[in-house]
Formats: sequence, C-alpha cells, structure tokens
Amino acid sequence: MLAETIKHPVEHLFPYSVPPEEYSPGMVTWYNSVCGMCPAGCGISVRTREGRAKKIEGNPLHPVNQGRLCALGQAGLQSLYNPDRLTAPMQRQGERGSDEFVQTTWEEGLSAVAQRLEMADRHSDSVVLLSQGVRGHFANLLELFMRELGSSRLLHYDFAHPHSLHAANKKLFGEDQLPYYDIANSRYLLSFGADYLNNWLSPVHHSLGFGHSRQGDDSARGRFVQIEPKMSISGAAADEWIPARPGTEGILALGIANRIVEGGYTGGDAEDWSAALTAYSLTRVAEQTGVPAETIARLAEEFTHAEPGLAIGGGAAGNHTNGVDTLVAVNALNYLVGNIGKPGGVVFNPAPMSSRSAIDRPSSRHANHQAMQDLAENARQGGVMVLIVNNANPVFTLPQSTGFKEALDSIPLIVSLSSFMDETTALADVVLPSHTYLESWGDDMPQPGVGFSVGSVSQPVVSPLYNTRATGDIILGLAAKLGFREAIPWASMEDFLKDGWREIYARRSPASDDFDSFWRDVLRSGVLGENVRRESTAAVDKRVIDGIGVAEPEFSGTNDDYPFILHPYMATSMYDGRGANLPWMQELPDPMTSIVYGSWIEMNPVTATEMGVTDGDLIRVTSEQGSIEVPLVTFPAIMPDVVAMPIGQGHDDFGRYARGRGSNPIQILAPTMDPESGSLATSATRVSLVTTGKRAEPAKTGGVARQLGRNIVQFTDGSSEAAGHSTKVNGIPIVVEPA
Amino acid sequence: MSVSIVHTLRVLKPAAMIGLAAFIGLIVGFYANAAFFPGTSPEQPIDFSHRIHAGDNEIPCLYCHVQARRSISAGVPSVNKCMGCHNEVATDRPQIELLANYWRTGEPIPWIKVHDLPDFVHFTHKRHVAADIECQTCHGPVETMDVVSREAPVKMGLCLNCHKEHEVEFGTDCWTCHK
Repeated sequence: MLAETIKHPVEHLFPYSVPPEEYSPGMVTWYNSVCGMCPAGCGISVRTREGRAKKIEGNPLHPVNQGRLCALGQAGLQSLYNPDRLTAPMQRQGERGSDEFVQTTWEEGLSAVAQRLEMADRHSDSVVLLSQGVRGHFANLLELFMRELGSSRLLHYDFAHPHSLHAANKKLFGEDQLPYYDIANSRYLLSFGADYLNNWLSPVHHSLGFGHSRQGDDSARGRFVQIEPKMSISGAAADEWIPARPGTEGILALGIANRIVEGGYTGGDAEDWSAALTAYSLTRVAEQTGVPAETIARLAEEFTHAEPGLAIGGGAAGNHTNGVDTLVAVNALNYLVGNIGKPGGVVFNPAPMSSRSAIDRPSSRHANHQAMQDLAENARQGGVMVLIVNNANPVFTLPQSTGFKEALDSIPLIVSLSSFMDETTALADVVLPSHTYLESWGDDMPQPGVGFSVGSVSQPVVSPLYNTRATGDIILGLAAKLGFREAIPWASMEDFLKDGWREIYARRSPASDDFDSFWRDVLRSGVLGENVRRESTAAVDKRVIDGIGVAEPEFSGTNDDYPFILHPYMATSMYDGRGANLPWMQELPDPMTSIVYGSWIEMNPVTATEMGVTDGDLIRVTSEQGSIEVPLVTFPAIMPDVVAMPIGQGHDDFGRYARGRGSNPIQILAPTMDPESGSLATSATRVSLVTTGKRAEPAKTGGVARQLGRNIVQFTDGSSEAAGHSTKVNGIPIVVEPA
Repeated sequence: MSVSIVHTLRVLKPAAMIGLAAFIGLIVGFYANAAFFPGTSPEQPIDFSHRIHAGDNEIPCLYCHVQARRSISAGVPSVNKCMGCHNEVATDRPQIELLANYWRTGEPIPWIKVHDLPDFVHFTHKRHVAADIECQTCHGPVETMDVVSREAPVKMGLCLNCHKEHEVEFGTDCWTCHK
C-alpha cells in the first residue's frame, strides 16, 4: 500500500486527431468576440489554450465595455461547458411536456421541420418565429427566411426589452432608436428608477461612465441622485437616495420640470411648457409622490445649475401603467436644461452599421406584452401551425395570466433551437440544439449605441463541443431543405456574414486594402468603429408639450385585500432568469442582501415587526393571479408598503443548477399593461402576505447587516437621536443603532 | 517529584522504534517501488520507436515536436501529422495499423507521459531550445531508445548545475523555476 502511494502517477498526453486552427499546446491564443449573455453587446476577449476556452475578459478595444466585463459575462464559460447542454437533435417521444425525447440526426430533424413548414399555408401567416432579441446580420437572415416562408410573424422577445423607453423617445423626440446617455461627462445624474449600474440597458458601459463622472475629472466630482422605492445597487452608490411612491416618479419629474420653467426657462416654447405644467405645483407633487416640497425644489435647483445635469429613467419607473408618460417626463428634464446632443447629455445615435439596406426592416420586431398575448390568443384559436423558438423562454418570463403555456398545446409543431432544456424547450416537438455564442459566427451592432457607429464580429473561439449547430446554420439548413436557393444561397453563416461585411467594406472610403485583410483586421480587433455621428436637434412639437402629463399609476388589486405593492427586480446575476443555470451566478451573493441561491422577499423591518414576522419566515405572497411561497428578508431601504423580489429563480426545467430553486415572481404578475407601449407593467401588481408558519432561512455569505456596536458607519441626521429610538430617514422609518 | 530523563526515554522507546521502522519502510518502499513498478518507461498504446524515427531515419526532434521552439510544452504530434507519412510509409506493419485505426475512429491516442515535472516547477521548452540546449541533455539519448525511459535524472540538481555552468542570469533564484 505504501508503495502504491508513492508510485509515480500516470499522466497522459492526448494529441488531437486533427488539431484546431492556430493550435499549439502550451500556448495561449486570445480571440476577440461578442458577449452573448445579455443584450448590451459588450466585446469580449477569450483566452484559449489547447483549443479550450479558459477565461473571458472584456475586449479593451470595444467602445461599449472598454476591457471590462460583468459577472454574467465572465460566467459565459459555464454556459459553454454546462453539463446540461443539449448535445444532439431530438424528437419528442412521449406526451408533450413529459420530457421524453429520442435522439435523432440533423438530417432527420431538419427534414421533419421542413416538411411541416412546406405543408403550412404560405399566405396565412401560420408560421411564427419567436427569437430572443437579435441584431446584426443574423436578424437579417431571419427576415429573409420568414419572407421566403411568406410569413410576417417574426417576433423578437426579451423580457427586459425597454419598450416604454423606446415609445417615450419616439413620442418626445421622434426617435426610433435609444439615445446615448453620456453619463461619463455629466456632473449631476438624476436617475428615476434606472438600475443603470446593475442591468439597465448597458450596465458595464454605464459603470465606466459613472466612474468617470465621479473621478475622471480632478476639479469636479459628479453628484448622483437615485429615485426608487427599493434601494438597488445603483441606489446604494448614489449620494442621495429618494423613495417616491411607486409609479409617481414621472409626477416628480414634472414637479421638477415645473420648477425649472418657473425658475427662468428661456426657451422659445417657455409658454407652452408653463401651460402644460401648471398642474404640477410643488405642493401637489409633494403630496402625490411623498417627497417633501423642499427636496423637490432643491433637486430642481441642483439639476438646473449642474454643468451638465442628466436625467435618466427606466427600470421599475417605466414598468407602470403610466410608464411611457413617466419616461417622457424624465426626458423632458433633459430638454429643459438644454443638454440634448451635448457632452454629458442625451446624444442621438446614428443608424446602426448594417449592410443589407435592401431588406426593409420594420423599426422594431420586438414583441411587447400585447403582442405575446395576441400570439397566445391566436394559437388558442388554431392560427399557428408551426412555432420556431430561438433561445427565448416565454413560458418562464410571461405571467401565468397570459396563458402562454396552455396556448402552446394548440400548436401542432413547436421547434426549439435552444442550447439548453428550458421551460419552453421542454414543450417542443423537435429540438434542434444551437451552439453557444462562443462556438458560433455572428455580429452585433450594440443598442443603445455609444454615439457613433459600431459593429463587432462574433467568431467561434472553440470548436463545437457537441453535435450542435449555429442558429444561423440551422436556419440556412432549413432554407436549403425548402429550396430557397435563390433568395438564400449561402452555405454557412460564415459566408452570409462575410458577404454582409463585404458591403460594409465596400462602403468605406477610401477602400485602402483588400477585403481579406480588412476582414482579418476586424476579426483581430473584434470591433469596427465608424466615425459616423448624428446632429442631435432638439425640437419638441407643441402638441407633444401640450400632451405632457403623468396620470396616477393603476395597480391590480385593491389596497384592502392586497396591502403591498410588489416590486420585482432583475437580480444582478440572473438577468431575466437566463443566468440561473450557471453555478457561478447561483453562488454570487446578491450585493444588497448577501444571499446566495434561492429567492426571497424584502420587507421593511418596521413593517415586519408590525406584522409579527421575522427574517427567514416562509411567506405566502398572493396576488389576484396566484400565489408563491418565499422566505422573508428584512431590508431597511425599502418603503413600508412595498415588498421586493428578485427575478430569475424558480425554474422547473433549466438544468440541475436552476431546477427547483426559489420561486418566480413573474408568475403571479397581473397582466396590467402600459396602454401606450403595450409592455407589461411589472411593478403594478398588489399582493398580500401571509406567514405559513414555516421557516426557510435563505443562505447568506454575510453575517448580520447591523453594526452591533462596532461603530463602522458614523451616522447622524443632525438631530442626535438616542440609540434604539425610531426616526425617519427619507420618510422611511428606521431604528437608530447604538454607535 | 523529579522525573528522570532515562525513565522518560524508556517510556518513549517503543514509539521511537515504531517511528524508525516506518521511516526505514518508507525509504525502502520508495526505492523498491521505483525498481518494481517503473513509471519511468511505461508501456505505450502503440510501440512507437524513437530509435527508428530519430536514430535510423535521422528525423530531427523538432520536426514532430514542433511546438518546443515556441511554447512552454513540446507537445506530441497530432495524429494527422503521423498519418502525413504513414499514409505511404510502412502501412503494412501491425503498429502502423494500430495508428491508422486511431486515425479512422478519431480517438485520441492515450500516450503516457514519461518526462513529467512536478506542478510546482515552471519549465519552458522555448527558452531552452532557443539557448541551443540539446534535447538529450534532459531527455537522455532518446534516438537510441525503442522504449523511452527517463534516463537523465531530471531533478533540481540537474537544473541548477546546468544553470551555474552556463552562468544563466538569475539562474539560481528560487523564483526562476518555482513561480
């Protein structure tokens, strides 16, 4: 036995049968590509050794993230190497939803789908392609494919797509695209509900901007005020955190706007604004929002005199029944202080760098909640023969009230192109598994842009691990089977992509070198910037000004039956739930509560004391739509009548790391929508809480959130309250701790 | 009450004897293991002969171990490199048929590592090849071996002596190799 223990261990040397391109053992090769973990479109550099991806970092050349990368982006490796990946095409064997699949070949899988597509009536729009939000040339390919199929029903669906922000920009500025918010050069940032450091639009870019605003200039330190009912990560980084009643953020913005106009706004349309804003007097706004009048006056004063001040709005503030109006009001603040098109202000983006201008593309294919409801309704009535789902998971991210899952029963053929088994793929009849983004060709034109034209190419950094195919190649495969040779002649996604970039190359003047070296350069740097900027003219139509106003938000459920407003928010690690199958993301502590794994509901400790519940009590959360059970966590920075829940957990079917962990607050949301944008008002559901009498303490990495006399944080609000005494900070009751 | 040293030693004697026996056993076991279970010339999945390739046919080391001059590891040639010649050469021999079989199935050949440094030693082939150190200095006369065995004692002494002899800058610093 002793001899065994000191024996020389056997180590193997496995040579590749055919080594991958540029392979040399022991040598590191970095590939630049595009992150596919969220829609921000950051550039990545992937370190590979022996043909395996080892580490993902930000691409320093990419203007969006400039070498930085968030936790979810870092965890992309676990998407690639996930043990629960789908490894080969499958066909359903048992009942739909029974999770019984048999492996098949690509040939058979593609033929089965192509056959049904051929059978579907070419002109009845009975084929629906539901994709996660995609951009760049792949989006063009989907357009081409659907046009050849004779169906107009191509839907991009992302739970977190900012429909209200798009609608608001369109309304106020006539802009289809999201503008670039130049946080870096602003000196006073007023954020209405936008958790911009965590997951709003382009969090890595915003974080860089925030850092620059704070520390980039030696002479001035940018100030930042966050307005929201529950302190987010951005709120924790703010100089001042102000809770306004949920859904009244827009009213607050108009109160500030009113003060700005009264305080000597000199624009030519001053009279129009003055007339439109008369209703938003300080006292009325203070009463409606719960923010003291002197605070509103001070915010207006500070915002006007900041050089420059920038107002952004989104997140929960845009997810109410008055979401679009709220965001219009926030944008109006930028207009009134005249920082449209200026450094530190709102900069309009040029049209995204794209080549196939010949393909007329609707400005947005993004499906809002109304569109998803319509789809479900149409499916129930038998209007959908084939549904192709590309890496979207609507069964998880739509509320139960939509009835989407049940509606899928009426669709004869569901095809999923997902890389993982998820709630939607589990109901599919044919599964054609796609590569992860680290194995596929693609490109991206980040939205929102950064003020100038940017395109980046995503290249495979490793050879495919399994018998999967790139989504583009699956679509091309189907097109070939259906005989769309003329319109879609490309043999592979790589060819299609290169063809598109040939046009981008041809447009460049002067074309200094040949296409091949241009393409090599783009691949090497991973990104191409074009110095195409846009003049941002700020003219707001009088009719728009006259129509400005924010109504009181409406909630589903009465105050008496459902005393709390549910504030669901996207957790740092999970995004809309897609991060839940990554162990790194599961074990990443929530920055505000230090909780790992599972989900929880946050409540003000004073409210908890009144209700007689405490940390770790299992609570039943009931809305008009249903109920879920979740442990309670007391959290001091939340309004007394608001409870907050992170989104992302509660998967039934998303691999071993996600399954059966926590619960999904989206399930119990009411189908309340913002009528103007048709997007789901996710913050407009009231709930009641009942303790179940059971305990379920969430796992935490931190100890207690209190100081316990360690005197770490010195705190006074000026009135030297005695320890243990109750007081109010920002209108929120707190208990003063002994120093 | 005083405790006699002699008495204490007497009490400890059995324990000391057991310890000594274990220590001797360890040393004997180590060498016995090295002698009876030679990890130094293991049986390989294919009876590849360096004597035929590097000796008789005088194929340079770096022809197959191309990476040695650019990478930390020398690498073993990929199967398609072997097949580059053996599509034509000596195709009828049983060992080549074994190789061809690996090629057909796409299975990797599970070669067993002969020269292996502990994980706490940082060694790079690239620098040593660049300094014109003969491969044989560390690997022994591989071109004469049908079965490769670890002949040169690749221990710390070998590295240090050579570094001293060649007056390598920082050649005897701990951190040159242990980093």
